[in-house]
Amino acid sequence: MADHPAAFPDAAPEAPDASSVERAFLKRPSFGIRARLALGFLSFIVFAIAVTVGAWIMLSRLERRLRFLEVADRYTMEIQQARRFEKNYFLYGGNLQDVQDHIANARRLLIAVAPDAAEVVASAELGRMRDHLGRYETLIARLVARDGAHAPADGAERPAIEAELRDHGSQMVAFALELAEKERASVNATLALFKRLPVAFLAFLLVFSVVVANFLARQIVGPLSRLMATTQRIAGGDFTPLTPLRWYRDEFSTFSVALNTMMRELAHRQEVLVQSHKLSAIGTLTSGVAHELNNPINNITLTAEMLKEDYGSLADEERLDMVNDLVVQGARAQKIVRNLLDFAREGEITTERLDLAKVLRGAASLAANQIKLSGAKIAIDVPPNLPAIHGDRQSLSQVFVNLLLNALDAVGKGGHVSIAAGTSREPGYVQVVISDDGCGIPAHVLPKVFDPFFTTKSRGKGTGLGLSVSLGIVRQHGGDIRVESAPGRGSTFTVLLPAAMVPGLSENDAGPATRPSASKPSRPA
Amino acid sequence: MQERLQVLVLDDEPIVGKRLQPALAKVGCDVEVFDAPGQALQRVGEKRFDIVVTDIRMEDIDGIEVLEKVLERWPKTKVIMITGYATVEVAREAIAKGAFDFIAKPFKPQELRDVIARAAEALGFAGVDRAAADDSV
Repeated sequence: MADHPAAFPDAAPEAPDASSVERAFLKRPSFGIRARLALGFLSFIVFAIAVTVGAWIMLSRLERRLRFLEVADRYTMEIQQARRFEKNYFLYGGNLQDVQDHIANARRLLIAVAPDAAEVVASAELGRMRDHLGRYETLIARLVARDGAHAPADGAERPAIEAELRDHGSQMVAFALELAEKERASVNATLALFKRLPVAFLAFLLVFSVVVANFLARQIVGPLSRLMATTQRIAGGDFTPLTPLRWYRDEFSTFSVALNTMMRELAHRQEVLVQSHKLSAIGTLTSGVAHELNNPINNITLTAEMLKEDYGSLADEERLDMVNDLVVQGARAQKIVRNLLDFAREGEITTERLDLAKVLRGAASLAANQIKLSGAKIAIDVPPNLPAIHGDRQSLSQVFVNLLLNALDAVGKGGHVSIAAGTSREPGYVQVVISDDGCGIPAHVLPKVFDPFFTTKSRGKGTGLGLSVSLGIVRQHGGDIRVESAPGRGSTFTVLLPAAMVPGLSENDAGPATRPSASKPSRPA
Repeated sequence: MQERLQVLVLDDEPIVGKRLQPALAKVGCDVEVFDAPGQALQRVGEKRFDIVVTDIRMEDIDGIEVLEKVLERWPKTKVIMITGYATVEVAREAIAKGAFDFIAKPFKPQELRDVIARAAEALGFAGVDRAAADDSV
């Protein structure tokens, strides 16, 4: 089975060996549809996790900002309180203890807020702030010391300290307000971003879903349509194995391997059918051969008997004539048998350059006895310079013998059968038209004539394989058979075969790769 | 001198006539041989033969037709059929249509002589020389 030729080699010259194709399929890394679906969903999950983590991080930052804003507000308030007490001191006198308390609070807050503030304001500015605060504290301390020493309230020193205090104080307030303001702006910006985020997320999700869905669909629909095309190809009789197209292996690869196995089996079955039809054709031809063989044997018997009977009385000349007859008739018998044996021999299917005229004459001479017995008239018209074809001689002569025998069956005594070869109107094809003026095929039967086991002949006379097998062989050669018929007006079978292009080209270049464009009508609906 | 048996042999294989001519002449027959049915029938139209030996399968005109034409012209003539393959159907058809007997290819000259002798007896010829042939075997 393994070394069984899968198909006629010429039909697909570059056709790779089925088992090597299977190895190529299995060698590829596995990447199944399940894995691809899982990967698709995984990407969604990863995306969702990323969005969640991002949102969580942003929320915690917002929380920190809000806390900072609160501290900044309290700091501003402390500074403003300190300034209010400072103002009271200068206006009404009193002590500076409250100012010092508030400034101490502000300093603590400033130290606490420093790490967070760094995100909002420049560290240099923060340093300046600290300087102002320190300076202010020092000035207050100097005032306290002066008061302790009971210096006169209108001393020359006091207005200078007051002016400097005002300056630093206002700077501090301005800075604190600015800090809070900046922070508020930052919080607002974050909030605005939060408002836009779900919309952006939704939009991205939409695009992402479409892309993933599209990708998965293409991953599945592509191979499916290729497999569909393959089944049509198989129905047409082309059993070239599928080859891997992708770098990975998936469920479709498994399916392709199964399909290849099926094609191999089909090709094998086809071959069995071809053989079994051939046997039945040989049976038919044999009865003709047996009859035809009787003639030379009878001639030999009569001649030998008379030679024996009259040996003594015959002249040398007559004896020589009789011996010559024996030799000639012996050769004739041999030729009759050899033709049939050539046809019957179970040979390897070989593709070679064929002269269609020779194939047709060979088929006609095989059927010569049937032609004689049927009493039909046969005309063979093969023009010179007919393009050669590529194919298996035995298979093709089986096709023509079969069509010829069918035609002979249809016409009976006195009918006419014609075999005409020529170039087809289909470019690149040669055609053989076998027509008869016999009984014809009824319209309701016509669509079924190529079906296997369909026969109109009585039980035991026809296998119903002839046309089915013939069509199979011709399709393997890249050709087609068409039929036209009407009851009482005979039948015409047209065999189309791709012409061999230019002499000397390799076999791979033989014939066009495509079928005749109108191959469908060969099986009229 | 006894009247000789008039025999016509028709077979599209020329060697058959060529060999049967001397074989039958030896036993006292006047033999005319043909390998074309048309010429043979023409001759039958001109001359009455006692016995016609014809092949069944021939191109143009087959043996059954020859049988019919001969009997139509000379109802008393005995027609012996030569058949390539002795099927019951062909034999039955030939006999039904009035053939005296049939002989299947391949046959020996003596076998035909025997059939012809029987036909001659049926026709009332007593003197067909079967013994002459028997001696030489």
